[in-house]
Amino acid sequence: MEDIVCKDLTRVYESSRRKRIFGEKIVRSVTAVDHLNLKVEEGELFGLLGPNGAGKTTTVKMLCTLLLPTSGYAAVRGLDVVKNANQVRRIVNMVAGGERMIYYRLTGRENLEYFAELYDVPKQKIKSRVNNLLELVGLYDRADDEVEKYSKGMKQRLQIARGLVNDPQVLFLDEPTIGLDVDIAKDIRQFIRKRLVDKQGKTVLLTTHYMAEAEEICDRVGFLFKGKLVALGTPSELSRMLGKFTTLELIVQGVTDQAVKGLNTFKDIEVVAVENVEYMEASAFKIVLHVTSDELTPQTVTHFERFGAKVVSLNVRKPNLEDAYIHLSRRQES
Amino acid sequence: MLGSQILKMPTFIFQGGRKANLSVLRVILAEMRKNYKQFFFTYYSLFWVLILPFGNGLLYYFMYLPFTKDYIKFEWLGRGLNVDIIGFTLIGQLAYTFFLSTLIAAAIFDREREQGTFEIMLLSPANRLAILLGNTFGASIRYLWLMIGTIAIFAFSFNVGILINDFLAVFLSLLLSFLALLAFGLSLAAFSIHSRRGGLIAIACQEPVAYVSGLVVPQNALPQTLAQAGYLIPLTIGLIALRLCLLGGVLLQDIQLLLASLLVMIVVYVVLAHFLIKIAEKSAKAKGTLALF
Repeated sequence: MEDIVCKDLTRVYESSRRKRIFGEKIVRSVTAVDHLNLKVEEGELFGLLGPNGAGKTTTVKMLCTLLLPTSGYAAVRGLDVVKNANQVRRIVNMVAGGERMIYYRLTGRENLEYFAELYDVPKQKIKSRVNNLLELVGLYDRADDEVEKYSKGMKQRLQIARGLVNDPQVLFLDEPTIGLDVDIAKDIRQFIRKRLVDKQGKTVLLTTHYMAEAEEICDRVGFLFKGKLVALGTPSELSRMLGKFTTLELIVQGVTDQAVKGLNTFKDIEVVAVENVEYMEASAFKIVLHVTSDELTPQTVTHFERFGAKVVSLNVRKPNLEDAYIHLSRRQES
Repeated sequence: MLGSQILKMPTFIFQGGRKANLSVLRVILAEMRKNYKQFFFTYYSLFWVLILPFGNGLLYYFMYLPFTKDYIKFEWLGRGLNVDIIGFTLIGQLAYTFFLSTLIAAAIFDREREQGTFEIMLLSPANRLAILLGNTFGASIRYLWLMIGTIAIFAFSFNVGILINDFLAVFLSLLLSFLALLAFGLSLAAFSIHSRRGGLIAIACQEPVAYVSGLVVPQNALPQTLAQAGYLIPLTIGLIALRLCLLGGVLLQDIQLLLASLLVMIVVYVVLAHFLIKIAEKSAKAKGTLALF
């Protein structure tokens, strides 16, 4: 069964402003989501990936009834998000990253009890459900402390518990690990994958711009770029899309602009990224390349040496989701 | 007949039968509890709630003293009463502070929006009017008991000339003024959600309402147009009714018209709030201004 369906879902934002108080009105339209077609199966963890402004949050807002689509159709478990908004609200919930959306002066327990009342959770079930959720997210011991005394990670875990208070069948997670420490983010990812999806069978739509996060936990992912879905598949399928490519990661010292530009003369080498890094307490550049043949590896090293640069580290690996994403976004931009 | 229509209101507003009405009640109570803990939880806030009306009351009292000394001439439908200055300002303060609390309730939604909780409320299937009602009621009730206590102590210490001949009239005046102000507060809250300027509306309303409602000067002392505009605000009618039955000792039959007007206002403002909140939500969802995350 399909839990989420989008057919030609489109959202256009219109904003107007005047240059002067009584001046001419300038209307500007931005298409945030452009004819999105998507299906997410029951019990699937689907990742919607894309850069800032790609339309991920707008898609989530429309699916959880907080925003009206400009055109097209969207349904959650067969319920139209516009016509059956109130029924949709009963079976979905949403968690966003950051420290907002909870009451700081209330305790963790009071926050969950309040939202349970809004969702009309049966009175006799509230206490046990709140306790279970607090235990689930590891906040049981701090349940009666005010939220303002919680750490960032604790607030985020409370947000997740808040998102589960109505036991939703479909959960929207909008950048849930943004700004969190690496280890806390990892815990949350594992919680989403193992507890919510594998154990409880919930359908989760996760938006993120961390590719590694999606690669680690998602069953399938879709790349959104300027509101358009440009690729769809499992993380390995999308990585294999760059099948003929090998990724080279080089750390080079003494490299010049000329040397980097010179790489463009090679027909089968694509420069993916160049960034300044520190290597053995000295300044260096990390250069990421996509090459079509392994034979090009020694040629690349020789190329840099010809320009007086020194390759101090070389890593040859298969492309991952991030490589696929960069490749696709470049193609879209060009 | 009007009474039976009002009794039917909950079914009209909170459609869905007994179960739905029970969940509406749960939302109202949850909202009140949250409101109390989130926005009114320290002795510090208690201090300000007590101090503010005293300050304003004294200001108005000393404003009158050079002109009138002891009494203010107060008229209603050609019936003139000379009422005690302290009593006049005290009752004005009681109702006005209560009115301020409904303005604060409207402004609270700005804060909810800023902290992102407003979107989460609307993400739930909870009845929107119940959320508004819980919020406004919560904000008002905490002021009400404090105000009544404070003013009772104040009135006895200053020997205010209270003259009550009909306790039912006093009770009904208090109750209907309270409910009408609550309904007015609901509409303001719904409007401020739509305009996203709850804080500004709350500040902008305070002084004009204080004048046109007859808090500062009696209605009969205002220019006719201003006085008539004042009758759109329940505070004005509530104040006249309360002053008449607390200071003038009038009977229930003398203030029937005022009480009926308050009843009409309750109905009108609740229905207005119901439609305003629907329009506000629909427009915000269409424009994309509902969610700020």
